Parts: sequence; structure tokens; C-alpha cells
Amino acid sequence: MIWNYFLIAAGVSSASWILSALIPKKDIIRNLLVLTGILSMAVYIAFLWSSLERPPLRTLGETRLWYSLFISIIGLITYFRWRYLWMLYYCLFMSLLFLFINYLHPENFSKTLMPALQSPWFVPHVVVYIISYAFLAASTLVAIYGLYQVRREKFEAKYMQIADNLVYLGFAFLTFGLLFGALWAKEAWGHYWTWDPKETWAFITWMGYLVYIHRRYQKPGKYVSALWLLALAFVILLVCWFGVNYLPSAQFSVHTYSMQP
Amino acid sequence: MSKTTKPLWQNPWGYAESFLIAFGLLLIGFLLEFTIQSNSGTSIRYPMNLILGGVFLTLLLVFYRLIKKSKLYLFLSGIPASIGAISVLTLLVIIMGVTPQVPMQDKNLITKLSLNQLTTSWSFLFINFYLLVILAFVIIRKSFPFKWKNWGFVCSHLGLWITIFAAGLGSGDLMRLKMDLHENKTEWKAYDDNGNYYELPLAIKLNDFIIDEFNPKLAVVENETGKLYEPTKPSMIMVEKDLTAQLHDWSVTVDEFLPLSGRAGEKYHPLHDFGAAPAAKVSVSTNSAEILTGWISCGSFNRPHESLKLNDNYSLLMTVPEPKKFSSEVTIYTPDGKKEDQILEVNKPQSVNGWKIYQLSYDEKMGKYSSLSIVEVVKDPWQIYVYIGIFMMMIGAIYMFWRGNKVRINSEQ
Repeated sequence: MIWNYFLIAAGVSSASWILSALIPKKDIIRNLLVLTGILSMAVYIAFLWSSLERPPLRTLGETRLWYSLFISIIGLITYFRWRYLWMLYYCLFMSLLFLFINYLHPENFSKTLMPALQSPWFVPHVVVYIISYAFLAASTLVAIYGLYQVRREKFEAKYMQIADNLVYLGFAFLTFGLLFGALWAKEAWGHYWTWDPKETWAFITWMGYLVYIHRRYQKPGKYVSALWLLALAFVILLVCWFGVNYLPSAQFSVHTYSMQP
Repeated sequence: MSKTTKPLWQNPWGYAESFLIAFGLLLIGFLLEFTIQSNSGTSIRYPMNLILGGVFLTLLLVFYRLIKKSKLYLFLSGIPASIGAISVLTLLVIIMGVTPQVPMQDKNLITKLSLNQLTTSWSFLFINFYLLVILAFVIIRKSFPFKWKNWGFVCSHLGLWITIFAAGLGSGDLMRLKMDLHENKTEWKAYDDNGNYYELPLAIKLNDFIIDEFNPKLAVVENETGKLYEPTKPSMIMVEKDLTAQLHDWSVTVDEFLPLSGRAGEKYHPLHDFGAAPAAKVSVSTNSAEILTGWISCGSFNRPHESLKLNDNYSLLMTVPEPKKFSSEVTIYTPDGKKEDQILEVNKPQSVNGWKIYQLSYDEKMGKYSSLSIVEVVKDPWQIYVYIGIFMMMIGAIYMFWRGNKVRINSEQ
């Protein structure tokens, strides 16, 4: 029953989201289609919640449903505010991807997460990071393109405005990711900040973008150094994301889930 | 690019001075560390931290009154000073992110400079202190006279200031203790990492410790070293009834799986005994079409484990099951005579009398037969102030998302 309804809900969401990408002419129709997909996910999660008689947060498959729901909601809100169509499609694509993974691995619905990950904070923590990294990656692309244009001496100030706005939005989500992580850590491990290597690197990433934002705030005209700062900040972000596990400090981290079943 | 280079320390100060001051503080910190090592065992507790916090605030205000008309104030509340402080703190935290932050016994440059315990070092303290001063001046400059358009700025910066201030001062009052609960016994003493015991204003009786486990997994190990053999992934496969799976070069079929069993004679039988262990009858076939059949078990604290020898080099074995969920059913007593029944579970702490109680661990050797539950008890009287700061930063982040960098684009045009 749970599985069949999942197929229906995921089918409705996929169909309406894919349609929304195919009919880009009318804004209102697209928004309605995106909203239909979101509602279909929301209704399914509500159904799952009531039939399981517990919040559906305990298994891998269940957390992916929440990712799909929240990523598409934030995508739509961001679209309403900033009209970044690529971000809306990125969010819908990520949502579909998570639904598709659930479709490919039905066994994930019963696969329980390790105890520390079974928390209402898990989903928001991951979701805001997925969105933040997308914005910051996009800002890095603008930075690289900007540096290339500087070399060709065809730089335009509007690149900087695009980069700045992407960083502002990405940084807002990054802040949420960091703070949600802190609030979760208090519930799971007893303290909100323990300088765990992953935390430390997340903090460094946050500080890196903080430097960029302040530099831009003071000297809007000096863009070459700012563009380099932006590119460097993303390198730090990548260290935080993938690199931490290979550092000597990582052997004491709680964020390495290699033992996860 | 300025055409004429301004001599150092001539007003107005800029990036050069800012970085020199920040690095200078770092250097003084390291020198101090090298000569008189900060004792990480002692921390500033109530009421000392409260007094120091008050003194700091007073000095800050006096300092502000003294310099508010000077160039120094403009520098300290300006962006170059902020960037200098943020950058040097970032540098310090990068060192922290690369070197393992654990106590070490050896005497070398790392331990002499406390690079392995940076959060309790002088340089970390100095930089944070400097950052707090700068941040305070930034907030004052943006708040007086107050303009409504600055509320998001003030909210996020003040939130960060409160968070650093409260977390820093409160760290001395933070108590994180462990308690060993044995089934059907009442415990009121907790111990810290150094083995000091404390009496708590509450007592906990463990009624039952419950553990729910995943099925064990199949894995191949090298006979000689006992190391996990993993030429291909996945190198471990969870045992399930009637499972057939490919593990490296071997095809493994689970003929029978007994979650609780004991060996009697030639085979394992279902058994609901204290110490009963999972066991499985498996058939393994290799390319040579030869089929090996036998029982494997991961054993338990009082039953031996058993593996199946595949050839001279490798054996198939069953891993010890990992916990899916563990929880303690407890009764908590407080000095006012109240008692309440609670369930402690990972991610679901309980609050009693100003203490938060967390399910932490259990006797891993005993596994599901553990009658010991280890809980962590935490008291952090400053947490509420840190959270106020955190929520202010969150509001600031929402503001940032909503406004983007519009403000500045307008002013540039």
C-alpha cells in the first residue's frame, strides 16, 4: 500500500515537474505545475506519517522524501523572490533524483539509519547545505568566467553583481546549515559546538565567504582580488565537503559515516 | 591601486595595519604559550566569568567613550580591521582543522605552542577577544543613530557577538559528565573525563536497557592477518533469510538464519538463552563449481564465534551486529521527592533539574546483553544566551536571503 501510493505520488510529482520545464512560456502555469508536484509529495508524506503512526524520519528512504519536498519548496520560494529559473530547475532536478533513488531502491524504505542520524534536524541540515552549495558553486562559475573576461579585458561590472547576489543567497543558506548543525549537535551529542574536524572546516568555509562579503562591501570597485577570493573560498568549501576525511585531524570526527550499514 | 604608498601607521590605517595588529596578537599569543603554557585544565567558572564579562563590557564602553571621536575608532569599526581579524582567526582555525586536536604527551613544537589544543591557547583567546572588540564597535557604529534600514545588519552582527561572548564565557561553566547506570540500581554520582566524581541533584534508576540490532553482515577476511579482504565493493553484505549474493569471487547463499541460537553438536539451534548469538548456515560456491557448506556465527560475550575457511588464504565470517536503536527505561528522582519515568534515547535527551540527560553508550562487549547503560549528563547555564545569538543570526540570514545585495547595488548606481 505504502509502495503503491509512493508510485502514484512520485508519478504525479515527476509528471508535473517535467511538464513545468517543458512549458516555460506561461509563468503562472509553470508555478501551478511546480506547486502540484510539491502538494503531491506533501500529501504522500502526511499519509505515510499517519499510517506509520510516527514521523517518517527513521529510514533512509523516508529522509529522501523530505529532501524532495523541502528542496522543491525552497526552489519555488527562491524563484518567487529572485527569478533564477536555473535554480528552480536545479531544485526540481534534485528532488526528482531523490525520488528516483527511492524508486530504484525500494528496500531503502525499511533500512534504518544509525541512531545518531535519526533526528528531525537531519533533513533541514542537509537540505539547506544542498541549496547553499549550489548557489556558491554557481557564484564560483561566475568568478572563473569573470577572471577569464578580466584577462581578455572585457570585464563588465554586472558579473560582479550576479556573483554578489549568488554569494549572499548561498551564504544565507550556509549560515542556516551551520546553525541547524549546531542545534542538532546539542540534541544528539550534548554540545552545540565541539570543534569536530567537519565543524571546523564548515566554520572555515563560512569565514571564507565572510571575508569575500566584507571585501566587496568596502571596495565594490576592486573586483580582481574579490574574484580570486571567491574562487579560493570554493576550494575551502570542497575541502570541507570531500577533503576532511583525508586530513590527519579526521580520525576523531563524528561526521565520518563509513561504518554506517 | 593607490598611486602613492602611505607610510605604515600613518592615518588612516588600512589593511597593512589591520593585518599587522592581528598577526601581532597571534605572535604574542604564541610567545606567551611558549613561555607559560596555558593550563587547559583550569577554566574560568562562575562567578569569575560573570565578573570578567562585566569588566570587559565596562572597559569596552570606557574605551569607546575615550576614542569615539578619534581615527582609531573609525579604524576599529571599519572593514579592514574586520577582515584582518577574520582572516587571522581563519588561519588559526585552519591549523586546527589540519592537526588532530587531542592531548599529547610528547614535548615538541606542536605541544609547546599548543597547536594540538588551540581552543584553549592564548593566541586563540587573543584573536577572539580582538574580534569581539571590533565587532562591538561595528555594532555601535551601525546602531547609533539607529536607522531602520540597518536592522538586519545589526541583528546578524549582534547575534554573532552574543554567541561568541556567551559561548566563550560559558565554557567554564559547561559540565559534561558521564554516568554508569546498571540495571535495577540507582545512581546519583557522575564522573568527568579526568575521573573526578560529582554528586548530582538527581538520581537515576535504570529499569531496563533495550537494544535493537541490525542483522550481522557477511565478510571475507585474510586468514593470516585477520584483515578485511576488500578487492571489490561492497565488501560486507547484510545477512538475510534466503539471501544469495556475490561476495568478491564467491557466491554465497544463506540457507538458514537464526538471530538467536546456540551450537549443539553438529548444528546451531534456535535458543532464547542469555548470550544466544546469531548464526547462519551458508553455501559458498566458487568458479570451480565446488560448493562449501557450513555454519558461521559471530558469537557473543559467552559464545565463541565460528568462521568458514574458504581456502588457505581466506575465510568467510559474520560480523558483530551493529545497533539500530538503543534506549534506557529509567526512573529519575529529584531531591524534592518527585520521581518520573522516562525513556532515554539517542537524539532524544531529557531535561531534569537544569541537567540534560543523553543516552551515550553501553557495554559494547556484551552487545545486546548489556545491563550497563552509559548516559551523559550536561549542564550549560549559558546555553540560552548562545541560542538567543544563534536565533538572531538566523533572522539575519533570512534577511540576507530576502534582500540579497540590493542595498549596495542601489547605492553604487
